[in-house]
Amino acid sequence: MKGDIVGFCCNYTANVPAEVLKEAGLVPETLRIRRLPCTGKLEVAAIMDALADGAEGVFVAGCRVDECHNLTGSQRASKRVAYAKEMLKELDLDPGRVEMIFVPRGEAGPIIQAAREMKTRIAGMDDAMTRALESEGAEQSK
Amino acid sequence: MITNASLQAIEGQPGSFVARVHQEPRYIDEDKCTACGTCTMYCPRPVADFYNERLDVTRAPHIDYAQAIPASYYIDAKACLRVNYETCNLCAQTCTAQAIDFSQKPRDLELEVGAVVLAPGFGRVDNEVLARFGYGRYPDVVTSLEFERLTCASGPTEGHILRPSDQTRPRRIAFLQCVGSRDETCGNGFCSSVCCMYAVKEASVAKEHEPDLDISLFFMDVRTQGKGFDAARKRAQEKYGLRIIRARVPNVDQVDGRLLLTWVTDDGKSHTELFDMVVLSVGLSAPEDARAIAEASGIELNHYNFCKTTHDAPLATTRDGIYVAGAFQGPKDIPESVTQASGVAALASELLAETRGTRSVTVTYPEEDTSLLEEEPRVGVFVCHCGVNIAGVVDVKAVRDYAGTLPGVVLYEDTLYSCSQDALKSIAEKIKENRLNRVVIAACSPRTHEPLFQETLRSIGVNPALFEMANIRDQCAWVHSQEPEAATEKAKDLVRMAVAKARLLEPLAQPTVDVIPKAIVLGGGASGMTAALSIADQGYQTVLVERSDRLGGNLRDLKWTLDGRDAGKILKDLTDRVNSHTGVEVLLGTEFKGMSGYVGNFTSSLEKGGQTELVNHGVLVVATGGRPYLPKSYGYGKSKRVITQLELESRLSKGKNPLRNVRSIVMIQCVGSRGDDMSYCSRLCCSQAVKNALKIKEFKPDVRVYILYRDMRTYGFSEDLYREARKKGVIFLRYTPDRKPEVIRQTRGIKVRVYDRLIGDEIEVPASWVVLSVGIAPAENEETARLIKAPLTQDGFFLEAHAKLRPVEVAVDGVYLCGLAHGPKSLEESISQAKAAAAKATIPLAKGKVAVAPIVSRVDKSLCIGCGICENLCPFNAIRLVKEGKRRKAETITASCKGCGICASHCPALAISMGGFTDSEIMAQIHAFSQRECEERRES
Repeated sequence: MKGDIVGFCCNYTANVPAEVLKEAGLVPETLRIRRLPCTGKLEVAAIMDALADGAEGVFVAGCRVDECHNLTGSQRASKRVAYAKEMLKELDLDPGRVEMIFVPRGEAGPIIQAAREMKTRIAGMDDAMTRALESEGAEQSK
Repeated sequence: MITNASLQAIEGQPGSFVARVHQEPRYIDEDKCTACGTCTMYCPRPVADFYNERLDVTRAPHIDYAQAIPASYYIDAKACLRVNYETCNLCAQTCTAQAIDFSQKPRDLELEVGAVVLAPGFGRVDNEVLARFGYGRYPDVVTSLEFERLTCASGPTEGHILRPSDQTRPRRIAFLQCVGSRDETCGNGFCSSVCCMYAVKEASVAKEHEPDLDISLFFMDVRTQGKGFDAARKRAQEKYGLRIIRARVPNVDQVDGRLLLTWVTDDGKSHTELFDMVVLSVGLSAPEDARAIAEASGIELNHYNFCKTTHDAPLATTRDGIYVAGAFQGPKDIPESVTQASGVAALASELLAETRGTRSVTVTYPEEDTSLLEEEPRVGVFVCHCGVNIAGVVDVKAVRDYAGTLPGVVLYEDTLYSCSQDALKSIAEKIKENRLNRVVIAACSPRTHEPLFQETLRSIGVNPALFEMANIRDQCAWVHSQEPEAATEKAKDLVRMAVAKARLLEPLAQPTVDVIPKAIVLGGGASGMTAALSIADQGYQTVLVERSDRLGGNLRDLKWTLDGRDAGKILKDLTDRVNSHTGVEVLLGTEFKGMSGYVGNFTSSLEKGGQTELVNHGVLVVATGGRPYLPKSYGYGKSKRVITQLELESRLSKGKNPLRNVRSIVMIQCVGSRGDDMSYCSRLCCSQAVKNALKIKEFKPDVRVYILYRDMRTYGFSEDLYREARKKGVIFLRYTPDRKPEVIRQTRGIKVRVYDRLIGDEIEVPASWVVLSVGIAPAENEETARLIKAPLTQDGFFLEAHAKLRPVEVAVDGVYLCGLAHGPKSLEESISQAKAAAAKATIPLAKGKVAVAPIVSRVDKSLCIGCGICENLCPFNAIRLVKEGKRRKAETITASCKGCGICASHCPALAISMGGFTDSEIMAQIHAFSQRECEERRES
């Protein structure tokens, strides 16, 4: 779907199912939340796979640094998000397509904000992916 | 009254304690302060208004709220500039009553007392607990106490419900229940008992004010178990469209300036919605200073830091002579707190019965000067400034001078504060000097001040009925504060009317009636025995009337109390004491057949074995009890396997043997209660079921116990039992009235079919026994109610005179109420209430005389046609028809008359008039009112 966003959340940052948030009209319809035991488990490859599978933006929501359930899990995740950003640059993609956020435990508000922000962010992007999607769209309309 | 004080220690023995008390100064003399508010106006130091939950500001000198007692301001010593820095002193300079006194010092008092009552109330839930729900972080998350102030007309927003963040009107409000209650993580594992009902009330008040509001309430269980509460909750739900959601909301989020709630319902579905405002229904914690109180008074606390008591002596602390009432004994609502307050009075009175009256002072008054009335009316008018309270709006001097022009007025003056001691003295002297025989005071409300002025009249030999008040404060200065001229004119009108009435006032007698020092208690159950013993212990003869041939009532069928005490022992102790007490006469097998007379002088007919005996007595306590509901449903009576909770208790009392072949027990709640035959909640069945379930688990842990319930109403500390039962593996399944469980009898055994909400399907549970939690039905109250002419509720229980203020009195004077006759309640509550009824019943007995209010109806027998309308209409049974010769004539029983005036207003022959409000007096007032208008018209 156009404008797909994937949010990687851990057990402690995703207490509200995405479906419920969508039903309430609080987040973009295109959000998919992938729940992990801990964001420290997240590999760079998983972020890249999400983009390769059609996501236009990815955010990773980890615990606040000082209250991570697994102590350093969210810090690890944040490092990997930084690697992913580097890789995106090399691929001529906007590094803003991947973002790390830190969320106080059990709060849905920041997740909603992140999803909305990512939506507006990708809408204003001009990189290899937008161009590819445009030409794809143009071909389809032909 | 010693305010601003704390208890330091209690030394000595019951009957001769010494209480050491430390008192901080108020810096305002309570006797001089007239509560005018000038000090607050001039004080430059703003402080948070704690009464308004810090939603508003006030000044260092203030009064918490207008009705506060003592009706005196006090200075917040922490904020005051004069107290802390010796500067300012503005308030002292502006106080016209010279009530502000910075020379006051802290005092240490030693009080000699015989008994001590602890009633410190309850404490607040920690802000830390509230912070879990966003309180303090999101401004639109408020506590229920804050919301109460927001909805109050005298509150910071004048009753408009506004969001604290942006002062806009919220459209959607959510109430979260059990904040700081039923929550072990914050230390409060108990249920606060009152929050469910107060949330419904607050939601209703909010809807009354803003009909468009959309209100959702999040409950775990809806615990509206109080008398009449379920009906009130249902009405509110229907009338205001309150949305009730059964879920516990874990936390509160903020999105787009609104509050996001997420919850999971018991069908496993997750929901999310946005609200504009969230109200946290905070629970009742133990008082913050509970430990200090316990140390100072030498009592023990329970594991929640409330006062430790037992179910058979709920008002006694662990130290003799020290009693407890109200929320410190356990979370409870107003009616129960007021009941307990009366109950502890009985306990103190029992302890100190011997010394009754030894330290009382009798006020004597001079003979009334009857020669005054032989003269023409000589009216004195005193117009009060009340500081600036009246004089700030009304031109007091103009009103005073106007009074001088009125006929009959010989003295007209203005006073700064009529109610101050100096002013009262000067008024008394002037009445004497000028031989005034009618007095008019134009000041504040007769409700608060009439007795004070009448007392002044009595003290100089003037009949207090020769007094009239014009309320120019409330009715002129307050309501017309923006229109001083019109207010002054209205004040003149009121004074003219008062003078016109005063000229016709007649002295009224102040009769008293002797009281027969004897009480009858109807009903020999736990309540009746407790009440009878208490009255007897307080020193008055008591007749305990029991219809059956044994004492004990429903207590006989109870085996254990909720706190695990042996009910049989409690019963034995009570009956032994009753039987051996010389002050209690027990009449078994005796029926109450009728009662005549009035408070202090009743005559009852008691029938025993066909013989009728007449007994004269001063008061009556109704403790006729209730009975267990007999179910017709669920196959009760058709199988030995289907039994009631009491029958289960009786089986369990034989130990674990009866459970030998039992593998599974299903309990069904609300059998009869809440809908079927009785519309009300029977209050104690939930706790009883949990109690028995625990007993089963104790005897035989592998028995599977299921409790099918609608709302688990284990309020107060019974919540502990509920939690323990869950921990021990008792399975709780909620059902709704549209999907009731079914009991299915099979060839071998029995099973119960019930809808499991979590699975979303019907399940069948094999049951060795099915235990029905039957409700409490009223006894034959209709007959008793007819005999004593007391009203019943729709549900068939006796109706108290006022649910909150007079919970153990009946509308008929001298008749009191306790136990199951009043409504379903636990043993603990029945005992508290029995003590309360005993305390109230002893008041007339101890006084020895019943003072009759002078404002009663009087029948002019020459005009009376004997139609009997008045007798039928009188709500207090205070007027009756008597034969005089061949005719029937009405006669007021002055001791029972409340002076409501219904008889006078309905008498077709105008034969009845009310003391102090005769037709001619009222007509004179009305004529005086229109007089000025007539004059004006004549002139034009």
